[in-house]
Amino acid sequence: EKVYKLKMAETWATNFPIFGDAPRNMVRIAEEMSGGRLKITIDSANKHKAPLGVFDMVRSGQYDLGHSASYYWKGKVPNTVYFTTMPFGMTAPEQYGWFYYGDGMKLMEKVYQPFGLLSFPGGNTGVQMGGWFRKEINSVEDLQGLKMRIPGFAGEVLAKLGAKPTNIPPGELYTALERNTIDALEWVGPSLDLRMGFHKIAPYYYTGWHEPATELQFLVNERTWKKLPDDLREILRVAMKVSAYDMYIQSYHESGVNWATMKSEYPDIQVKTFPQPVLNAMKKANDELLTEEAAKDPLAKEIIDSQAAYMKTARVWSNISDRAYLESVDRLDQ
Amino acid sequence: MWLIGLERGITRFSNLLGIISTILFIGLLFNVFYDVLMRYAFNDVSIGMQELEWHLYAAIFLLGIPYGIQHGGHVRVDLIYENLSIRGKAWIDLFGCVVFLMPFTILVGYYGVGFSYEAFSLGETSGDPGGLPYRWIIKAVIPVAFFSMAISGLGMIIRCINVLRGVSEEGFSHPPIQH
Amino acid sequence: MIGIIMFFVALVLLLLGFPVAFTFGGVALIFGVFAEGFDMFAFMPFRIQSYMENTVMMAVPLFVFMGIVLQKTKLAEQLLEAMGKLFGGVRGGLAISTILVGALLAASTGVVGASVVAMGLISLPVMLKYNYSKSLACGTICASGTLGQIIPPSIILIILGDVLGIPVGDLFHAALFPGMILIACYIVYILILTFLKPELAPAMPQDLDNETRAQQIRSALKAIIPPLALVLIVLGSIFTGIATPTESSALGGMGAIVLALIYRQFSWKMLYDSGLETVKVTAMVFAILMGATAFSMAFSYTGGDAIVEEVLLNLPGEKWGFIILAMIAILILGFFIDFVEIAFIIVPILAPVAEALGINMVWFAILIAMNLQTSFLTPPFGFSLFYLKGVAPSSIRTMDIYKGVMPFILIQILVLVSIMVFPELYGMD
Ligand code: NA
Ligand code: NA
Repeated sequence: EKVYKLKMAETWATNFPIFGDAPRNMVRIAEEMSGGRLKITIDSANKHKAPLGVFDMVRSGQYDLGHSASYYWKGKVPNTVYFTTMPFGMTAPEQYGWFYYGDGMKLMEKVYQPFGLLSFPGGNTGVQMGGWFRKEINSVEDLQGLKMRIPGFAGEVLAKLGAKPTNIPPGELYTALERNTIDALEWVGPSLDLRMGFHKIAPYYYTGWHEPATELQFLVNERTWKKLPDDLREILRVAMKVSAYDMYIQSYHESGVNWATMKSEYPDIQVKTFPQPVLNAMKKANDELLTEEAAKDPLAKEIIDSQAAYMKTARVWSNISDRAYLESVDRLDQ
Repeated sequence: MWLIGLERGITRFSNLLGIISTILFIGLLFNVFYDVLMRYAFNDVSIGMQELEWHLYAAIFLLGIPYGIQHGGHVRVDLIYENLSIRGKAWIDLFGCVVFLMPFTILVGYYGVGFSYEAFSLGETSGDPGGLPYRWIIKAVIPVAFFSMAISGLGMIIRCINVLRGVSEEGFSHPPIQH
Repeated sequence: MIGIIMFFVALVLLLLGFPVAFTFGGVALIFGVFAEGFDMFAFMPFRIQSYMENTVMMAVPLFVFMGIVLQKTKLAEQLLEAMGKLFGGVRGGLAISTILVGALLAASTGVVGASVVAMGLISLPVMLKYNYSKSLACGTICASGTLGQIIPPSIILIILGDVLGIPVGDLFHAALFPGMILIACYIVYILILTFLKPELAPAMPQDLDNETRAQQIRSALKAIIPPLALVLIVLGSIFTGIATPTESSALGGMGAIVLALIYRQFSWKMLYDSGLETVKVTAMVFAILMGATAFSMAFSYTGGDAIVEEVLLNLPGEKWGFIILAMIAILILGFFIDFVEIAFIIVPILAPVAEALGINMVWFAILIAMNLQTSFLTPPFGFSLFYLKGVAPSSIRTMDIYKGVMPFILIQILVLVSIMVFPELYGMD
């Protein structure tokens, strides 16, 4: 039987924990389920040297598949930004609901198909932390002039409130924060942040608001996809879905373990949540930005409205199920 | 001699790239200084100005390479080369240009065209708020620079041919970068 | 297998003397197209873009400019001469000054190209003027310029921290003392060598007739203050957080212009000429990087990295055997693979084994960093050697540079071994 040899480019460096596990799981599952008819090799960023070129390389067919994150393509195709995570947006289960049972997949296809690409959910990090701050944020005024490394849509939200989103190469982030060249930065969450050592130089670790459910992505070149027989397509679809789900669980697990380690090894880290007035101001700025974007482009409006509507329904259930449960359990006598 | 005329034209072209790079470099110096000053003294950050830094720096080194070819600015392992006659050097340079430099720069330039055209057709901009638009311009510097390298390489080939034909010995003693 | 053949073919073809950058590019093309077809080169624009967007490398043109202005205004010469005189009758004073200035420069950047080229511009002409042996002068510059790798902040330590999952701050802290020891060893070597062979590094001529020691110190201080102020601006701006390490190099460049103004050496022509020479040197450095990235692309896409991986996976599973062979493997691979590749591709293969053997990962990282620093100096592919050749006067032959770095390579290996055997001396056990 015909063996399909496919090549996949990932945005991550060799052996990048968790993020890099998702595509490897996908490849393993696809190979085994297809009895070896699907053979996929993965090239990491160290080999292709183009972490943010995955979109172009899969589009042109230099690679058949990619593993990356949709919001990286904002500069090329603005509407891709909505398929990763949005500030004050859905949690991971809510967002998976939107993708698979709401309009998520259909809208994502609308955005990607004109470019000869298919996009599938590729694993979720869960809620990302709000970042490391050298000084406490007690009021909206404290955001005024705050120099923070925070890319993308969230950066725009903060800029609206007077903060100064700043570009610093990852290699210089540590020195920049240590020396107050910047006042704050956001990275991912405990498992990856501790490796960067930010806890040694910034006392305040804020809880998240801007990336509640960062979803990675599998990209597939449409010509490759059409070449595959139906059963292999289905196998690929299942392998992507399972490995994405697995990464979400793995992230949850790793974050839990690392959080515990962090608390026991570095008890001095002060974990903070932004005060209510600050969050209100961020939310207001966020909504204004979304309104602006929706006014610019009908497809953007369709996506934004679909997400808002889905979240409205799903959140009621989240509150009555998860939140009510957690709160009741919290109140139990020990 | 039309070959000598062509060679002089190519030299002028490469020199022009050197001048452009130099102006961009002085721009870069002030660009970075301005960004530091604004951030530290006035607590103001412009993502666009920060991005302009790498746009300038990239254009400087890419456009500088063809200028460097013209002016013998590229490093050689001279264990053998130094001891050769001018004719011997010309043979090696002719061989290197035809077999290494020309195919390499033309091929990279060729793929660079598609690369920047892609950015042009997507209307690619910076993904960051306040970043620079028209990404295709900086990407187009890749094919421009590599085709210019090929043009400088052509100049080098002509110089070698002139030496081998005994017409001229120009272009084989470059002043070193300093001193 | 193609990767291995390609490596040896490049080695032979480089000897012809055609520019290194395009020899790498041409060999990559021949082998890459032979094995995979033309389309492999569709990856080149992406690889070039990764250099274009790497703003840390911006330090190269900016530091080079600072070096050129310092040289053109003779301020660097005055600094080194004054420091050389301060060392009085000590032979090799200029070489020792070069090491100290190189170490300061290294403290502000982790980009080897930037510091080797700047030191080559600043101190090579001065050492030659005072009849230093060419190879001693070249070796000293390459070795002290390469210190930027081990003295924090440094790119390689940041990458290793990322790959090994060690906080960058811990690595910076751990690297400081080994870096100091390395500097001390260089100086001791110069002292011993010039004691044994005085003719290699003549002492600075002393104006014995009219200058007292006190006057000498005074005039030395006067000469040292302006360039020292510049170094303070560069390091100070990083330390106080005014600028990132890369940005500090622009402050250094602006500072050099201000110094030129103060010393009435500034002219628009000087600025333009310095800019043009900066462009030429920068182009030289980046052309090599462009050629090298094509070479490593062809190497890995034709299966070279798979061979390397295979070899490494077969290292022994016992602590000392593993460490020694791993270090030898990295040293050899450093001859022809870029340090970034080693950090990202080789180290992740070694790390789990090291971890399983209970090896202190900070120690392991410092060993690797020290080892990779050596790879910049080893002929024929050591990038520091190319960079220095690019800015040296034509009287300096490749062989002078090769000869000059040999003792420094030995010193680095000795220090590496001492960290291996006596980690407790360096605060790691
Ligand atoms: Na993040
Ligand atoms: Na350094």
